[in-house]
Amino acid sequence: MAGQGIQRREVLRILGTAAAAAQFPGFSKWGLACGHIGNAALQIKPAVYRPQFFTAAEYAMVERLTEIIIPSDDTPGAREAGVAEFIDFMVANDPEPQYPFRVGLAWLNAHAEQTNGKRFVELTPEEQTSLLEPLGFKDKARPGVESGVRFFSLMREFTVTGFYTSEIGFKELDNPALKFYAESPECPHQGDPEHVHVSQSHS
Amino acid sequence: MAKQTYDVIVIGTGAGGGMAIKTLCEAGLKVCALNAGRRLDPEKDFRYHRMPWDMNFRGLDDPKRRGESFGYMDNEYTKAAWDHEIPFTVAPGTKWMWPRCNAVGGKTNFWGRSSARFGDIDFKAASLDGYDVDWPITHDEISPFYTRVEKMIGVASTVQNRPSNPDGSYLPPFKFRCLDFILQAGCNKAGVPYLPDRCAQLTEAHEGHPACHFCGECTTGCDVGAFFSTPYFLLPKAEATKNLELRTNALAKNVLVDENGQATGVAYIDRKTKQEVEVYGRAVVVAASCIESSRIMLNSKSRHWPNGIANSSAQLGRNLCDHLYGESARGYLPQLVGQPSFPDHVGDSTIAWMPRWQNLKDPHEENFIRGYSIYPDGGCEEFPGFATDMDGFGSSFKREVKRRYPSPVSFGIQAPSLRSDTNFMDLDPEVKDPYGIPVARMHFEWDENVLKMWEHSKQVCAEVLRAAGGVVEEIGGEQEIPGWSLHETGTCRMGNDPKKFVTNRFGQTHDVPNLYVCDASVFLNCTDKTTTISILAFSLRTSEHLIENFRQGEHKAA
Repeated sequence: MAGQGIQRREVLRILGTAAAAAQFPGFSKWGLACGHIGNAALQIKPAVYRPQFFTAAEYAMVERLTEIIIPSDDTPGAREAGVAEFIDFMVANDPEPQYPFRVGLAWLNAHAEQTNGKRFVELTPEEQTSLLEPLGFKDKARPGVESGVRFFSLMREFTVTGFYTSEIGFKELDNPALKFYAESPECPHQGDPEHVHVSQSHS
Repeated sequence: MAKQTYDVIVIGTGAGGGMAIKTLCEAGLKVCALNAGRRLDPEKDFRYHRMPWDMNFRGLDDPKRRGESFGYMDNEYTKAAWDHEIPFTVAPGTKWMWPRCNAVGGKTNFWGRSSARFGDIDFKAASLDGYDVDWPITHDEISPFYTRVEKMIGVASTVQNRPSNPDGSYLPPFKFRCLDFILQAGCNKAGVPYLPDRCAQLTEAHEGHPACHFCGECTTGCDVGAFFSTPYFLLPKAEATKNLELRTNALAKNVLVDENGQATGVAYIDRKTKQEVEVYGRAVVVAASCIESSRIMLNSKSRHWPNGIANSSAQLGRNLCDHLYGESARGYLPQLVGQPSFPDHVGDSTIAWMPRWQNLKDPHEENFIRGYSIYPDGGCEEFPGFATDMDGFGSSFKREVKRRYPSPVSFGIQAPSLRSDTNFMDLDPEVKDPYGIPVARMHFEWDENVLKMWEHSKQVCAEVLRAAGGVVEEIGGEQEIPGWSLHETGTCRMGNDPKKFVTNRFGQTHDVPNLYVCDASVFLNCTDKTTTISILAFSLRTSEHLIENFRQGEHKAA
């Protein structure tokens, strides 16, 4: 297993360096270590997140979509990682994706009404999944939903970005970034430079 | 009050200026150093091990500011360290990106750390292939300076016995990761070298500096100084001599001259008070980085120097060269799919390299002259960028991201442009910066030769990846725009003929003997190697030449 033989020191997370992180008031789930430098007022975390860009109805859709893209299964998913909050914050601060998100969410609702006679969030999880499969899987794509495919790609890109830059996303990948090592870590598969046997043993 | 005169005024505290300051101060000369920005505070200005979720925008920066960023080192973690106040312009048709860190230490705070020597294949390239002119120096002459610099700063590598890459004095190399062994096997099949890079990162404690802790975030600043930068390595030594006065927020405007056209000091703008201040010295070292140094010298107009100081050759600002950067090929290694994650980024991408292998036996072996190098990269990166393009959703998607996480690889090219008459910088005749100084105007396009290297690299890198058992996903993505590499050279070239070159072979200007240049602007071109270690070696040599000139009485001590 990678990492064997590496003398891994405890990651010395330096407390109080969350720096500029706390200027935005709404991070209820990001677990920011923001107890520092005169920002006491910003430590108040609202119990319910109030979206900055999306309407409440849009936000509910965004949250559900993030959860479908990266679900909670044997490990936590997008909901636990607060990905919908991240997306709302990024979109609130960036005019460019605002229109595609707004129009895309409206399209998805209209598509759900047309297909199942209900708004997207009112569908059963199974109905939601089958509605999204032609948008999210290339081999299930069909003509007539191209704008939905584009919107789903955007949604997936933001979800991936939000999830894998969160602490939960780091844990999901066992992300080795910013850990400390006593010496330069070395390939543990000496004697098999082409790693032919490595891939077999793990497939 | 009698005006104070220093021995030497040094403009800039980056690699070139920092080395000059340390060398001159240790020789007992009184130095006044001017730096255009402030001193950095590592805790505030470096990443300092902040995690993405510690940041407002997860390290991705405010979308409103992203468009203003000058490249990968100027990001949400370090943005306060980069200069966004002094503008520049481009001629029609030119694209240019100009990352400038005007803080004390300059770009050495954030540099890429690859540290290969230039060799005779570079210095004598013109004799070999007939293009342009040779450098006025040989590897034998500069080698002792390289050796001293390598010992001073600590470079991790191995002896490699390659004609394009003279070996030096090295710390133990970075150990190879899984992806290195796999790609090396592919390179062996394709007949391309794959070796440890020359990386100025301390694989063991060195000269009072601590060993690297391998967090992999070097280009956002090192909190312990485990790789070379002037604030950690050179300026403390200069300050210990008590011979240094460092003035910060001092934006050099022009070199002052006497009635004979010789340098007497520097006029600068105090960025805090917006006042112009003059400081006097018996010699002046310009080390503000290639383009900025030329801008200051071109702006130093007087009765003697109507076209800029030391510019009787009219070569000041000309001959601009740069490295073409881009991703020649990208894909993944199936051998690593499904493997546990591995700390692949502890060297922040400079663990291995594919040093120039083209045109070594015969300078015209390929359909281009000279050569390029490749930096392979990949493995577990901080952010799984490949996942934003992946198909599907749900638990299968999440599992696939984790499986693919250790497997991506890419190949980045570093290819030198050739000197040409159409690539240069000058002063914009109309636009001035907020302090009234004319801004630099860039004129630059990639030449046919470097674009042929780019095409060549795409094919070779794809071949290497396939030979390694990898899957090629993209060949030749977008090239970076000129200026991105931060390796611009050539605007004050050195040479023996005063009619054709700005400085002599020691970096001393032909026209003004007490004016020296200590940065990459003296290089004749940018070669396939990075510039910093050569700036340090050449600056050390120039500084000792300057000291010798003081000893000989050519410049009178203060």
